[in-house]
Amino acid sequence: MAEVDAAKSLSGLLNGIAQKVYYNNSEITEELLKTELYPELPQEEFKALHEKMKGLLKSIATADMDHAQLEAFLTAQTKKQGGGGVSAEQAAALSRFWKSQRTRVRDSLLAQSRWEPSLRGLSWRVDLQTATSRGDAAHSGPVALMELELGRAGQDSEFVCLECDEAQINQVLKRMADIQESIDRIVHRT
Amino acid sequence: MSSSHAKDPSFLGGRIPLEIESMSKNLKDVDQELFRKILKAVVSALEGKDCREVMKSIAESSVIPQDRLSHIIAGMHRVLSEAIRIPTPLLKQEAFKEDLRELRIPEDFIADFCSVVFGNRRAVLEAAASQKDPQLPTVTDFKWRVDVAISTSSLARALQPSVLMQMKLSDGSFHRFEVPVSKFQELRYNVALILKEMNDLEKRSILKIQD
Repeated sequence: MAEVDAAKSLSGLLNGIAQKVYYNNSEITEELLKTELYPELPQEEFKALHEKMKGLLKSIATADMDHAQLEAFLTAQTKKQGGGGVSAEQAAALSRFWKSQRTRVRDSLLAQSRWEPSLRGLSWRVDLQTATSRGDAAHSGPVALMELELGRAGQDSEFVCLECDEAQINQVLKRMADIQESIDRIVHRT
Repeated sequence: MSSSHAKDPSFLGGRIPLEIESMSKNLKDVDQELFRKILKAVVSALEGKDCREVMKSIAESSVIPQDRLSHIIAGMHRVLSEAIRIPTPLLKQEAFKEDLRELRIPEDFIADFCSVVFGNRRAVLEAAASQKDPQLPTVTDFKWRVDVAISTSSLARALQPSVLMQMKLSDGSFHRFEVPVSKFQELRYNVALILKEMNDLEKRSILKIQD
């Protein structure tokens, strides 16, 4: 039972650190983690554990380790002698945590180096203009109305509305195919 | 009022617009040459061209006082824009002539109006009119760039492609934004879907709504 509890506390600690460091959740504090997960551990010992886990996570996240790299890294850490080393349980908890959170942590780190507003969403509608104040418009084709949602991290979205006729949509789509092609060239090469 | 008018209301609506009424009053001693000059200027104004100089020279050379000219120009502008508003299948030439006759507009001038409203000028005027419809800005320029982030301050080996797009809109605004690859796929899919919807719409009979 005690082992299960220890594993649970440890995974709670790792998730707490991730919330605070990578997901910008300011509600999680060191004190909160201490009182919720390790109420009986002396303050000094908790601090050491917290710092160690934070440091290990940072190494793993910065290098964006894949499975093999992580195993090698953790094996090296468990072999370390003295207080700097990692126990088998801690290695297992780190491995479990990373398996489930790698993509999310990576995305959050990538977002930290993104300065231009990024595209958050797109909504659209296709209309058929039937009449206007200036007269009948039955000759005109369908119109696409688009709304782009743009925003910087941590800021409110800005909305850009525009309209395109069929020829313009066709043109945009052609550009998209060009972009896709150039992405594919890079992705296939690496 | 003849019985035919009860069935077929005037293209000007139930009440004759004030500009048109005062135009017909002021047209009395206008000769056809002057009328045609003004008509030409009004048509080019409706086409969106700058006709201030032409109007000025008409006003300077004409014997008709300027305030009467203003009434004539305003009325002609209204007659033409009202007539262009109505789609050709609904506006019968005979009814149009009849409506103008009732306003006591001389027959020669009616013929000139007809040549604009039912002649080959009409398509140009319709196109110019549709430019004035309320509309959202359109994309006038679209540039892009694909980057790969190699390494960042928080990620040693990022190797993450992203697309930087820059759009210039017809209202003059610029928008530059980054599109992560996953969002780019979503965007491309949606644009393709829009095009498909548009194509489908054209195939379906909904486009062939006729009055």
